[in-house]
Amino acid sequence: MITVNHLHKHFGDHVVLTDISEHIKQGEKVVIIGPSGSGKSTFLRCMSLLEAPTSGSIIFDGQDITSPSTDINKVRQEMGMVFQHFNLFPHLTVMKNMTLAPVKLKIATKEEAEEKAIALLKRVGLEDKAYAYPGSLSGGQKQRIAIVRALAMNPKMMLFDEPTSALDPEMVGEVLAVMKELAEDGMTMAVVTHEMGFAREVANRVLFVDQGSIMESGTPEQVFGDPQNPRTREFLSKVL
Amino acid sequence: MEEFIAKFTLDFIEKDRWKFITDGLQITLLVTILAVFFGILIGMIVAIIRCAHDQMDPTRIKGFPKFILKLINTVVKLYVTVIRGTPVLVQLLIMYFIIMVSNDSKITVAVVTFSINSGAYVSEIFRGGIMALDKGQMEAGRSLGLNYIQTMIYIILPQAFKSVQPALCNELIALLKETSICGYIGLNELTRGGDIIRGTTFDALLPLFTVALIYLILVLGLTAIFARLERRLRASDNR
Repeated sequence: MITVNHLHKHFGDHVVLTDISEHIKQGEKVVIIGPSGSGKSTFLRCMSLLEAPTSGSIIFDGQDITSPSTDINKVRQEMGMVFQHFNLFPHLTVMKNMTLAPVKLKIATKEEAEEKAIALLKRVGLEDKAYAYPGSLSGGQKQRIAIVRALAMNPKMMLFDEPTSALDPEMVGEVLAVMKELAEDGMTMAVVTHEMGFAREVANRVLFVDQGSIMESGTPEQVFGDPQNPRTREFLSKVL
Repeated sequence: MEEFIAKFTLDFIEKDRWKFITDGLQITLLVTILAVFFGILIGMIVAIIRCAHDQMDPTRIKGFPKFILKLINTVVKLYVTVIRGTPVLVQLLIMYFIIMVSNDSKITVAVVTFSINSGAYVSEIFRGGIMALDKGQMEAGRSLGLNYIQTMIYIILPQAFKSVQPALCNELIALLKETSICGYIGLNELTRGGDIIRGTTFDALLPLFTVALIYLILVLGLTAIFARLERRLRASDNR
């Protein structure tokens, strides 16, 4: 589904990512863990080109998305992104949040988009919030809306950038439940998170990122049960 | 009281002198409305250009498009600097006596001058509003596949407009009152209308206070319109 080749990212003189290569298969759920400042969010954001790589290539669905001739807007239509701070559009109702992009990009008519939005809202138990503004929702509700807003585009892959880090503890569960359900439906997912329980339960593969490179990669059993890299062991001993 | 009625008759009734006020008011309103419209249009375009330049990702935009964007940005920056750095009266005189000297319509000269002048101020107001928005809004729009312009139009500008609305109201009030300098190029707008009456009847008090009162009423009306607009835009704030 997505292949990252020799990805480097610098912000000026500051090196964030060094030579990252990784392949995520269709239907695979990859959880990316690591200390803050390790570059894991930047890695994820590079995959949808919200950060432009300094060098290296990213092949999504057979297309090199780092090539200047690629229409990145088309690519992003197929790649859903969920942010730490939700980034719902506060001036629009939940319904408008979900139908704006599909309608303006002519993927669906207004009626089709609204029908789909209602179905998605039902799935996450928020159909009664369809005409509410984001300002009146709780954090957990906002993030569930943000997830279905991305799903309204029918993406082939979903990227999650610390989706539960800005939530009150009692709201983390409801968001993770939606993500688990999505995983069970076979969605290809890349998730940056500090929720080790979620990683254990849902991930096919766990990547441990530190100092801008992937230090360890393996099944949750391998990475959590028998970490090979001393940095991974040190990190896990602090968070588990 | 009798004296007042006599003055009032002399200033406004005799020889239909009230027409100086009503005709002047029409011109003041016409110039202001057109200049507000074009000023906001110019200001919005300039603000988008400057923000597009400042938010440009140098690793993705390269070569010729980057050169063009930089060039346009330099031009609009120069425009804002020159317009904000010189008095609007001087701009009006330059426009009338030099740049648009072959144009007969004083109203056109006034509209062009005030549109250009107001556009510079409005652009900075909008730029402030756009830059103050959370960066995540642009990212969220782009992540859904909307392009830069679509994200600007549907997501950024509506929110920016709401937050700059009080500053915009200020600018429009200033613009309305600034049109009173049009008398310098012989355009008979409201202020000059009152002044013509003063010059003919040698009574300063009544005509000038009348003019002042009309400006005040116009500003109050404008403020009320903006207050209503603000309430409507607040519909999404039901926290």
